[in-house]
Amino acid sequence: MTLAVSIHQLQCSRGQFRLGPVDLQVPAGARVAIVGPSGSGKTTLLRCLAGLQRPEAGVIRIGELVVDEGDTHLAPAERHLGLVFQDGALWPHMNALQHLRFAAPKLSKQAALELLERGGILAQKKKKPGAMSGGEAQRLGLLRALAPAPEVLLLDEPLRSVDVHQRDDLVLLLRGMCDERNITSILVTHDRDEALALADYLVVMRDGQVVEEGPSINLLKAPKTAFTAAFLRGAACLSAEDIGDGQVRTPLGDFALPDPGLAGEDVRLVVFPGEATVADDGDGPEVQVLAITPDEDGGLRVRVACDNQILIARTQSPPAKATTRLNLASEPRLLPWHHHLKERRS
Amino acid sequence: MTANKDRLARLPLWLSLAFLALFVLIPLGVLAFETLYGQDGFTLDAWRALAEDENAKEQLLASLRLGFAATAISALLGGGHAWLTVARDLPGRSWLGPLGVAPLVIPPIFLAMGFSDLVKDVAGFWPCAILLGVAHAPFVAVLTARGLRSIDGRAYESALLLRGRSRADRWLLRSITPELVAGCLLAFLFTVADHGVPEFLTVKGKTWHTYAEGIFSRWSRRAVGTTHAELQSPIVAALPFLAGLGCLLWAALRLRASSPDRGVVRALPVQPLGKMRWPALLLPVTYIGAGVVVPVTVLTRWVLGSAQRRDPMGLEYARASFAKAMDQGLPDLMHSLYLGLAVAGVVVLLAIPLARQSARRWPLLELLTSLPAAMPAILLGIALIRTFNSNPGLGWTNFDFYESWGFAACGYAARFLPFAALTLASQVRRQSLAAEEAGRFVHRSASARAIRLHIWPLMPAAWSAFVLSFVLALRELDLAVMLPAANATAVRRLANAVHFQHEDWSGVIALLLLSAAVLLPLLPSIVAGRKLSSLS
Repeated sequence: MTLAVSIHQLQCSRGQFRLGPVDLQVPAGARVAIVGPSGSGKTTLLRCLAGLQRPEAGVIRIGELVVDEGDTHLAPAERHLGLVFQDGALWPHMNALQHLRFAAPKLSKQAALELLERGGILAQKKKKPGAMSGGEAQRLGLLRALAPAPEVLLLDEPLRSVDVHQRDDLVLLLRGMCDERNITSILVTHDRDEALALADYLVVMRDGQVVEEGPSINLLKAPKTAFTAAFLRGAACLSAEDIGDGQVRTPLGDFALPDPGLAGEDVRLVVFPGEATVADDGDGPEVQVLAITPDEDGGLRVRVACDNQILIARTQSPPAKATTRLNLASEPRLLPWHHHLKERRS
Repeated sequence: MTANKDRLARLPLWLSLAFLALFVLIPLGVLAFETLYGQDGFTLDAWRALAEDENAKEQLLASLRLGFAATAISALLGGGHAWLTVARDLPGRSWLGPLGVAPLVIPPIFLAMGFSDLVKDVAGFWPCAILLGVAHAPFVAVLTARGLRSIDGRAYESALLLRGRSRADRWLLRSITPELVAGCLLAFLFTVADHGVPEFLTVKGKTWHTYAEGIFSRWSRRAVGTTHAELQSPIVAALPFLAGLGCLLWAALRLRASSPDRGVVRALPVQPLGKMRWPALLLPVTYIGAGVVVPVTVLTRWVLGSAQRRDPMGLEYARASFAKAMDQGLPDLMHSLYLGLAVAGVVVLLAIPLARQSARRWPLLELLTSLPAAMPAILLGIALIRTFNSNPGLGWTNFDFYESWGFAACGYAARFLPFAALTLASQVRRQSLAAEEAGRFVHRSASARAIRLHIWPLMPAAWSAFVLSFVLALRELDLAVMLPAANATAVRRLANAVHFQHEDWSGVIALLLLSAAVLLPLLPSIVAGRKLSSLS
């Protein structure tokens, strides 16, 4: 397997924040998304990869080229990569055509025009960023990054400044252009939908560490940590207090730990949307009803507050009062909050 | 190769830093050193004598009183003008607004000359404070207007709905405080640094002196037996004074620069003045009338022959005045214009790298760059003379740098560098850092990136800095008195010529000088059709 990007034991500080050590290997042609909440270190990781920030330790390789190791620190322009910035970061005094020709000195005018046409903004070739819509500006940001034909494309929340209606067009353009040119893409975002639309492989980060990684389908289907389940699928992670004998006490009842190794760990009861039900005459704990919406299959979805979290439960008839009773309708799923803490301790 | 190109791209910064060191830091260091250790030294006894010197104390107090009084007048006129033309429905606000900057092109000495002609026996503290207040009110007007324009109208409307107009206006005033303070401080600094106007107005029966005058008078008497300590005493006392002012200026400008970048804002809603709409015109009319109309009218009357009694006033006399001016004052005028253009060019070229560096990397550099703005120009002149009078390093050539226009241009550039550097640094801070980072992915040399991505977007601000430096250079009198080659500038010659009944041709030269100062800022409006309001 040819690697497009290889990161080994990368460490970096930004003010009080510490990233790493992080290890990551991205195969050539892959579409990877680094996801996590604000302050998880994904942007710092991206900046280190791009060469905008110098790591304190570790090795970064882009293809066969060592771009960061010890005293070696190649400038962004020497790394054969492109970066699409969050809000375009366009040059306000240049028009679209000038952007591409300045970004790629070897690009002929004809090739630049073709690129603009492929990006769907040929009509805007003489326009400056101030006269473009958010979607057009972001397309130009993408074309500017692709103009010098990079091997790896870094994307920093590229859909953030684009309105909902233009998102699909931009997603198709992005995926299409990366496929045509066989470009490896690494996306950084805290938006689950953006990550799933643009990547097939997810890297979940928290507190400067990689919590979990794998193909997106696997992480969605069977997350190994409660944090990943909460972040990617909006699962409610209810508290689980260790009461001994391999048992934990949760707001929905007492359950046995699936793995004895989890004893003493920060374990949560993970409830995916729709995995619990509410009924006024149920025997579960009393919960407050927040909102009721119709379900796709004719039932109702009820948002309830439980254990200081919002949980989405199913029901057939709307609750009569502002409170109702919550019951778990599936096998209890007890997962560690996140893996790396235990690994770090060991 | 890349490393060499990168080093080349840093060359302008090193040249700017070298200039700053050579024409600001070293001269000030030399002055401080010579003052304290030169010749017979500045001993503890001399310190004691200075502390007990009633004359020095009076001068210092006179400067401070003059500074505060003139600044209060500047704040009233400049701040009021900006408030009425930006935030209130004053009749003719669209053209009165840009006119708020107009008094800046009139050298304060012309204002003094104009009022002296209009009002008999105009002398003393208050006339001096009023004239300097009017002359420096544009600093307050421009910065206050800019502050008001950067306030988001939606925020003001929210305050208006929640707390009513008077509270909303108080909130607005608080929001523009950094700009108002920066403008007032600039007005204060220019007032306490000015020695020309107080000297001109109190030339007969002089009863009080400002500090800048004190420094100049002791300096000009240095050859007639004054002791070293006597000569140095005002300079010694001025050093901590200017250091304090430098810090204040830096703090005010930093405060203004660090006030939240309000980004894309909706314009402030214009509030009605109600019954006061027409009476409120009195303030801008008084301000522009005193700052522009009076001096220009008096100068025009001089050209027409008002200052002589032999011939009737009229166009015939004006023709004769013009002919005399071409004969006697044209070289001075041309020297002034060339010097102004050279200074403005040098200042902008030096300020761009300094502004980028101070805005992006070394904020402390802004303090060093601001120093010349905080000191009396007379003192900077003395420091430059002390350092360069012996032509260090050029003794082996026949070139006399000290006497050359190059020295005058460098001295002026050192004096006006802070204004250009601060203007440009403020613009750099408003530029997107991400857009600059995007430039680092481009396969081009560091110089090409710097020119296309860093310098090019600064061009509008650079033009403003160029115009400001040009106008300030044309009206500068204090340095013109000190630096040999600048003695021949028009302002310096005119300040002397009126004492010798040469008002007729002096008026012509003054009006031509003012025309040049006005024409340059108007060029973009004339050529590119930019809105007149962009001036302010």
